Amino acid sequence: MATLTDSRKRELRRELETVVSPGAVLSDPDELLVYESDGLTLFRALADFVVFPTSAEQVAAIVKLANRESLPFVARGAGTGLSGGCLPAEGGIVISLMRMNRILEIDYDNLLAVVEPGLVNLHLSWAVGPRGYYYAPDPSSQQACTIGGNIANNSGGPHTLKYGVTVNHILGLEVVMPDGEIVWLGGKTRESQGYDLTGVFVGSEGTFGIATKAIVRILRKPQAVKTVLAVFERIEQASGAVSAIIARGLVPAAVEMIDHLTIQAVEDAFGCGYPRDAAAALLVELDGLTVGMEAQAERISEACRDNGAREVRTARDEAERQLLWKGRKSAFGAYGRISPAYMVMDGVIPRTKLPYVLGRVNEIVATHGLRVGNVFHAGDGNLHPNILYDPRTPGEEARVVAAGAEIMKLCAAVGGSISGEHGIGLEKTDFMPFIFSATDLTFMQRLKSAFNPTGRCNPGKVFPTRKSCGEAGPVAYRPHPIEEKGLAQRF
Amino acid sequence: MEAALLDKLRAIVGPANVLTGVDLSPYVVEGRTPEAAVFPGSVEEARSVVEVAGAAGMPIVPWGGGTAASVGTPARRAGLVVGLARLARLIEHEPGDLTVTVEAGMTVAALQSALRARGQWLSLDPADPERATIGGVIAANASGPRRHLYGTARDLLIGVTVVTGEGAIVRGGGKVVKNVAGYDVPKLFAGSYGTLGILVEVTLKLRPAPDAERLVSVGFDRLKDAGAAARAVTASDLIPNALDLLDAEAGRALGLAAAPALVVGFDGLLEQVEWQCAELTRLTAPLGGHRIETLSPDTWSRLVTAARSAFDAPAALMKLAVLPAAVAETMEQGANAARQRGLGTAWSGHAGIGVLYAALASPPESPEPGPIATVLGEWRALARAGGGHAVLEAAPLAVKAHVPVWDDPGAAERIMQRIKAQLDPLNILNPGRFVAGI
Ligand SMILES: Cc1cc2nc3c(=O)[nH]c(=O)nc-3n(C[C@H](O)[C@H](O)[C@H](O)COP(=O)(O)OP(=O)(O)OC[C@H]3O[C@@H](n4cnc5c(N)ncnc54)[C@H](O)[C@@H]3O)c2cc1C
Repeated sequence: MATLTDSRKRELRRELETVVSPGAVLSDPDELLVYESDGLTLFRALADFVVFPTSAEQVAAIVKLANRESLPFVARGAGTGLSGGCLPAEGGIVISLMRMNRILEIDYDNLLAVVEPGLVNLHLSWAVGPRGYYYAPDPSSQQACTIGGNIANNSGGPHTLKYGVTVNHILGLEVVMPDGEIVWLGGKTRESQGYDLTGVFVGSEGTFGIATKAIVRILRKPQAVKTVLAVFERIEQASGAVSAIIARGLVPAAVEMIDHLTIQAVEDAFGCGYPRDAAAALLVELDGLTVGMEAQAERISEACRDNGAREVRTARDEAERQLLWKGRKSAFGAYGRISPAYMVMDGVIPRTKLPYVLGRVNEIVATHGLRVGNVFHAGDGNLHPNILYDPRTPGEEARVVAAGAEIMKLCAAVGGSISGEHGIGLEKTDFMPFIFSATDLTFMQRLKSAFNPTGRCNPGKVFPTRKSCGEAGPVAYRPHPIEEKGLAQRF
Repeated sequence: MEAALLDKLRAIVGPANVLTGVDLSPYVVEGRTPEAAVFPGSVEEARSVVEVAGAAGMPIVPWGGGTAASVGTPARRAGLVVGLARLARLIEHEPGDLTVTVEAGMTVAALQSALRARGQWLSLDPADPERATIGGVIAANASGPRRHLYGTARDLLIGVTVVTGEGAIVRGGGKVVKNVAGYDVPKLFAGSYGTLGILVEVTLKLRPAPDAERLVSVGFDRLKDAGAAARAVTASDLIPNALDLLDAEAGRALGLAAAPALVVGFDGLLEQVEWQCAELTRLTAPLGGHRIETLSPDTWSRLVTAARSAFDAPAALMKLAVLPAAVAETMEQGANAARQRGLGTAWSGHAGIGVLYAALASPPESPEPGPIATVLGEWRALARAGGGHAVLEAAPLAVKAHVPVWDDPGAAERIMQRIKAQLDPLNILNPGRFVAGI
């Protein structure tokens, strides 16, 4: 890790200020504190500088300066990441893209938009909404997270089931490479030749370079939407219904599951109309043509009833539909009311393994003397167990981390993955060997070297670094700055 | 090939699975005969073959069904064909998971029929499914008309097992439909033309088979109007699974009642298909659409090759990527460029995606490559002017000598070359065949 003397730091600050502008460089420890964490508050790392460029050329100049000084650098979007991906693990320069948030072009004829990476996900849908279009990837954090962060993490959302994840919606990227060169990967056409550089850049967690422009697809809003709520007495019934829906030839836009504990938290907080005594509920959304919508909803209802649903109903109107979704999307916030802290796990399993795995997850967490709430993308098999705990109770956080590792092992053991959308970041580097061999990891390391030969671009991420997990445990919980400012509710 | 190397290969896969001499005729590409062809029966055998070949500095040509074998820059040395024909098993299909894991040598048709028996399908419909293998289709990024709605290999491929040029077995991605652990290695292999590794096993996302499906064509007097109709469909509530534009020549080759034509596919519940067909008629009529006909299901697989089938032995085939809204215009300009040089031409394309297939007829008397090369250069310039690119998918060697197969990838070239150097450091896999001299 590079350590800078105070005087060197002052010189570099001045130099960075000439690249951007005097108001666009932070180096006071107090100011840097805001950028020491992301949405996963377990990990913290302080940068030497946080810089706010407004153009690709400025980003390139910062990157070249960092290289000259042998300083690591990392891109940061809104900092909503949940794996510590944007942390300056080894110090250096945090390059915030938040001032590069313009929509540069919208081309309705070709169903695409050219945007800057700091654009907030939802703002794109707002911009194209009046003409009847939207941007499909819809992470639950879409009011805050940026397109650049989505690209780096290949983010998904509830509607990923039908519409795919971020990578399916990115056509081209302007990238500042780790050596400072500005390069276009892909472009406006749907096909580009050679290796799919856009495809591999997406999901590379900020380790392949910094995206400074993105060409994204926009979609026409569906003619009709229908949301079905199915209520179950037992969680295995809900799990069974998920596979049954798929097996009956339907691909809904979304299939989300919410368990008992989460329903109670959500009802306490917002009163969204989920039955409090239910063991689990499925929120199933269909979209597409008006014609046939009823028939499809009927098939969904049947699949749920055949699997023991005690109640199946469709949202009567847009207001009820929004309320049901509010319950789903605000679940994270609701946990805050029933527990001092919680940690979100993110794993994926084959859908058919849901009944077994959910049972095991609950057992694992109980063994550690903790409680868990599950709210997740069931249609994709993307689990989000949320382990509730009290950071002030000594040893409790360590138990959460231990339970989390066991859940990841479980996902791996049933043929799944250790992350469906939050990424590896700093959090899961040591879990990578659960699903990848040393040879697989070497192959990926070499791929990284093709983009980032010096490793200065976002070091310490994705690959196992420490000898074994548990050795260097995470630091104790402290509230995240956005929670302290009362902003946490925006999620 | 040296006898010692042949002996080693025979020891790995068994003598019956090593071909030499006249037996190599099916593997001759553009007049080049490979030095041998070897057919491993397991992933481990494939690994050993590559290791042995690599140690001998013998270039390797991964071979699926051979349907795209001649796509690419002609190789300097024909090398060793490593055929996947014996790696053709379906490994795992769990309908409730909507995923399938197969060995890469299975043909598309065989996979589809196994899936169909269980009510599902792989939403990828390349030409020649009886011969094309899954691995080959992925490596060549082959697709068909349904890509309009369902995308291409990159959108469906979730896991790969590959044998690298150094003889390592590497897995990337996984078996679950959503996965961001590590880099998206499968993406790298979609469209890599066998230059980074031999795909031996792949896991793909599936879709439930629709209740009903229909392909209809709408005729127009002018291509321009058909293009306008395509744009109107894109801007409407319709959700077609295919939206192809065919000029008069390609339409005639396909046997359409009227052409130029817009050929549109719909799937879903029967009532959805019927409503959409009616809506299509309503939408296209004011734009000059007429002679709407329902096409027979076997038309689907002939759509991608409609342009090339307009001529017995086309002189060249080019694939152009342009912006969707520019499809009809590019077709018209491209066809004019050919006619001005007295050459026949036929065009078809995916109007919603912006991918065009153009065929150029052989000049009646002179086998001179000059005019052909000129037209191809103009076609490429057309694609580039619109921010796209063009790949020369097939042409005689004399033409390839004048017109590069691949387009200029710009500044990204350097990254591609570095990827190749990192992942195939011996430069043993299809050397020189791909973009940027890779
Ligand atoms: C309440 C809540 C709900 C969430 N729900 C979801 C969900 O449903 N689905 C989901 O997928 N995620 C979800 N997330 C996680 C998070 O929102 C996503 O990972 C998001 O994409 C991060 O975006 P960001 O702008 O905050 O990126 P940051 O957290 O700032 O950065 C994330 C990563 O992106 C890199 N990066 C940022 N910008 C660039 C760029 N321009 N070029 C290259 N790399 C860059 C960073 O280096 C880092 O590695 C949720 C998070 C919260 C807090």
